[in-house]
Amino acid sequence: MTTTRPTDLGSALTELAGTGARPRAGGTDLTACVAHGVLAPAPVVDLTGIETLRGIDWRDDGSARVGALTSVHEVSADPRLGAAYPALARTAGALATPQIRRTATVGGNLLQRNRCWYLRNPAFDCFQTGGGSCPAREGDHLHGVVVDQGPCVAPHPSTVALALVAYDAVVEVSGDGGAVAERPVAGLYDGTDPSRDHVLDPSEVVTAVSLPAPAPGELAAYLRATGRSRSEWPLVEVTARLVRAEGGAGPVASAAVAVGGVARTPLRLPEVESSLVGAVPGAEPGAGFAAALDGLAARCSPLPATGYKVALLRETVRAGVERALGFARA
Amino acid sequence: MDLEVNGSPAPAPDPDTPGATAADHIRDGLGLTGTKIACGDGVCGACTVLLDGSPTVSCLLPADALPGRSVTTVEGLGGAHPVQRAFAAHDGLQCGYCTPGFVMTAAAFTDAWRAEHGDVRPDRDTIADALAGHLCRCGAYEGIAAAVAAACAGEFDTEPEGEPPRADAHDKVTGRAMFTVDRAPEGCWEGVIVRSTHPHARIRSVDPAGARVDAGTGAGTDSAPVFVDLLGENRVVRYVGQPIAAVAAPTRARARAAAEAVRVDYEPLPAVLTQEEARAPNAPELYPSRNERRAAPSYAEGTATAAPWRGNVRGPFTLRWRAGTALKRLRAAGRSADPRLVAEEYTTAAQLHTALEPHACVADWSREGALTLYMSTQAVSDMADAVAERWDLPRDRVRVVTEYVGGGFGAKATLTTDIVASTELSRLARVPVSVALTRAEELTDAGYRPGTRTRVALLADDRGDLAAMSVDSYGDGGVSYGSMTATLAALMYGRTPRRTRDYDVVTNHPPGAPFRGPGAPPMAFALEQAVDTMAHRLGEDPLSLRRRWDGNTRRRALYDRVAALPLWTDRPRGERTGRFRRGVGLAASNWLFIVSPRSKVELTVEDGVVVVRSATQDIGTGIRTVLRDVVADRLGAPPSSLSVRIGDSTSVHGSGAGGSRTTNSMGPAAAEAADRLRRALREHSPRVPASGPIPELALKEALASAEGLRVVGGRSLGRWERMSSLLSGGGDVAVGRGLIGAVHVMEVEVDTLLGRVRPTRCWAGIAAGRIYSDRLARNQCEGAVVQGVGYALHEERRDDPVTGTVLTDNMEDYRIPGLGDVPETEVYFHEEGFEHVPGGGVGLGEVSTVGVAASVANAVFDATGWRPRDLPIRPDRLIEGLR
Repeated sequence: MTTTRPTDLGSALTELAGTGARPRAGGTDLTACVAHGVLAPAPVVDLTGIETLRGIDWRDDGSARVGALTSVHEVSADPRLGAAYPALARTAGALATPQIRRTATVGGNLLQRNRCWYLRNPAFDCFQTGGGSCPAREGDHLHGVVVDQGPCVAPHPSTVALALVAYDAVVEVSGDGGAVAERPVAGLYDGTDPSRDHVLDPSEVVTAVSLPAPAPGELAAYLRATGRSRSEWPLVEVTARLVRAEGGAGPVASAAVAVGGVARTPLRLPEVESSLVGAVPGAEPGAGFAAALDGLAARCSPLPATGYKVALLRETVRAGVERALGFARA
Repeated sequence: MDLEVNGSPAPAPDPDTPGATAADHIRDGLGLTGTKIACGDGVCGACTVLLDGSPTVSCLLPADALPGRSVTTVEGLGGAHPVQRAFAAHDGLQCGYCTPGFVMTAAAFTDAWRAEHGDVRPDRDTIADALAGHLCRCGAYEGIAAAVAAACAGEFDTEPEGEPPRADAHDKVTGRAMFTVDRAPEGCWEGVIVRSTHPHARIRSVDPAGARVDAGTGAGTDSAPVFVDLLGENRVVRYVGQPIAAVAAPTRARARAAAEAVRVDYEPLPAVLTQEEARAPNAPELYPSRNERRAAPSYAEGTATAAPWRGNVRGPFTLRWRAGTALKRLRAAGRSADPRLVAEEYTTAAQLHTALEPHACVADWSREGALTLYMSTQAVSDMADAVAERWDLPRDRVRVVTEYVGGGFGAKATLTTDIVASTELSRLARVPVSVALTRAEELTDAGYRPGTRTRVALLADDRGDLAAMSVDSYGDGGVSYGSMTATLAALMYGRTPRRTRDYDVVTNHPPGAPFRGPGAPPMAFALEQAVDTMAHRLGEDPLSLRRRWDGNTRRRALYDRVAALPLWTDRPRGERTGRFRRGVGLAASNWLFIVSPRSKVELTVEDGVVVVRSATQDIGTGIRTVLRDVVADRLGAPPSSLSVRIGDSTSVHGSGAGGSRTTNSMGPAAAEAADRLRRALREHSPRVPASGPIPELALKEALASAEGLRVVGGRSLGRWERMSSLLSGGGDVAVGRGLIGAVHVMEVEVDTLLGRVRPTRCWAGIAAGRIYSDRLARNQCEGAVVQGVGYALHEERRDDPVTGTVLTDNMEDYRIPGLGDVPETEVYFHEEGFEHVPGGGVGLGEVSTVGVAASVANAVFDATGWRPRDLPIRPDRLIEGLR
């Protein structure tokens, strides 16, 4: 059982190609997965020596390319990134714990395994570990999905993905032989495939995330509904970004609202987004927004124990959007 | 490539240990045991080290990622960092197990904060954000928050004057305190438990798969794994996770492999997993025979009450006081739909103790015919007695050592599996064997506060006085029984006609264990809400109703304080609207006054210093400090002239930590020992006065001439104390006169849209007589609020409905409160009312948590008009309830 630590991407890809080895970034989730028997021990290719995967590059159009090994903390704390992409920075600053945010990486966060307590208990087999059923569906799925996309009922675990999906960000993926492909972040996930949490093979490495040019004066908020105040996986979470007209001074010209904790994949809510066009910062959003929120129930297909998430989804989105708008409800 | 640890080069981890974490390497490879492992999932922060200067959870950091990095552990912080001084001075700790981790993050935060903001106090929310990756099960958050704020303000840049309030604070903030899991004697093997994978099965056979089953020929000559059976004569397992056997091997990895190789042949039996299934006609019986029922485990503290069995139901155990009158009145009120009849049902969930140090024991038979046990126990003397009896050894051939205990809360007072397995395995292996439960084992099979379903009926008469009370409670303690929930209600609200009945319904789930005030928090959750409901029915203020109904004089003194408390008098009134709603709730607590009459304290003069010894143990509650303070106070000598050495069964008998009895048992014994020492010293030196402080020089001179002097003080039964038949406790438990009281006033803010309850402020009034060590007592009462808030809002064991497997077997899914989840708490002590007790004070560990969840629930009702019937008050329940 070996761990190698190559210093260039090419070597890493060679070591990963067809060897059964696993790529590792911060290692926070991988370590837990091996400890809990989610993953059998396997050789590891530690990517943290590859400096080219680290850091934030700025392009001429003002857009950013964030290296996959950039820590979640760095994304949340980088001043320029925070100004250009406030929804990303706020989202990154709200997940896990301060210690984990400093170790965990953007790439690793996107490709982590879900938190289902059946998956992470070695006493159970499920679709994800080679079994043929979902014990959570028949069992205790209090924290499960409310939009039922397929056999597995574990909500998507990546909070960073919400923000990136809200920006229509693109991941760069390097595969066998150094082939580089780009795909939308949303394309990393297939909610109908119960056997895995993302579609990449172990021989593929996410090298960077590309964001579009920033919108001036963007309003943003991230909010998660939890029992405790901090450091808890969300029951429902929302990232809202509102792009304003008139170069950032006017009403909302376009909106992007992504939610997590509700489905196997991060979800965008186009009906809510379109209802926000014309909303005025500081004011209560209009009747169209309220109607769109009420319409969310029609998207939901709750499990026996997740019916509460129908209302919680509506209220979390409402509160998140209002926070982004700067509207404070009494 | 080497790594740097605490400023010096250190060896890199062995590359051939797959799955090893940085925490493993730091502790096992480098011997730096100040870094603790508690959750193993990056949730609790106990393992936090600075990695290249940044706080990092070392349990999720692969060991092979360490080379080339720089690591600072608590040992490397020295002991003089302002944060360490501040934690000691503000008593931001109890058991000390989580402390090194907190200190590392707090130190990094404080340094960064001061660099950016100067010597400014951060607010509580900022500190909670910074420490969001840390959990303290004792709940020392008030002290922690105060310590971090003070360190940031530059108040601890120099060593403060005087001793910290807690005698062992320095050892805990520096990581020097040695817990059982830190013990690794030379040549120690590791043991692993083989556990049932079936909820109910007969065990046909267990194949040790080549592990040795008999004692070898000599120490260390044979490194093959050893195997012991743990089931005994009854070859039936009744829950997933029940111990079947144990194996030990020279390394953890080999022991795990040997455990996996063991083959268990199960004959599955039908299981009952819910209360409803267990009570159904023709349900499979867990204990079909009288012998099996007799052998069933009890979760009662001490002896369980006698009660009949019917199928899977045990009970009732009934208390009656003019019960016929009570029932007649209640039935008549029910028939006439009397609005003064409050009849309600409440349920509570299983609460796991979640001590951050797991159950652990290192057993060593290597001395011929003698047994040394390092164990994480809250009953050193009792365990030495029990071990001597079980393994048929003379008491003086058994030694139990427990220097520091990382929390117990009731679950570490019996011969648990870790002790039995390590002892049996060491006997075969002829080397020391360590058995420490994994977090998953700890949260599955180390006890819990059983769930309950409780029906309360209260009837008020025309004048609004209590006319009748009935309480029925059903305990949900898995394979175990021992409910006292209803019985404890019989001690509340005077002598009105009443009946209480306790039942248990057994199912194929793990057994419960005593947990801080066994039975009382669920009782209060039901009764105190019913009383609150009655107050609303009668249109009366809940405080005023309790002042009329509650005859306990000490609690009445607390009600008088509440009546003048701004938190209560300025509370919001009338219907509240909007998303966030504030409310204030009130609840009363009650607990028995219990004492250990066998308690003794020994004082010896060694090298001119008074050494205080007793086989008691400090689980974070502070008895080490109480002993120091009592002896120092009695002699009028500085605390620094004393050395306290507890946690070793070779000393005189000490009280177990259970039943809120340690301080009121050990304190008077220490006082008597000190008085005896003074009399003995006067024979050596006439300058020692008969009473009052002993002048420093006189003491020094007397001690110099009294080398080797030994006196023992005891805690004989007081006039108002009687031995108890109900509470056995190793023949060391008596019940004293007078009930201990508490009143909690809780303020919450309810987010009615997202379903979150945020406790904001709490006033905890405690009537336990004279306080021995003020700051430590406050800390314990503050922590009791923390645990009560967890019970009210977050904590709940959840099980797979198909197999009974515990799903919340990790600290991500089993949720205990963090600093940001608990109210700012003010503790008030009413110190009168126990003048008849030696020492004037009684215990407060349990009474201080009894009514907390009830006060949260009453506050939620006050804020929203919705009454929580089920614990915990989860977001989904609140959303459902407010719909």
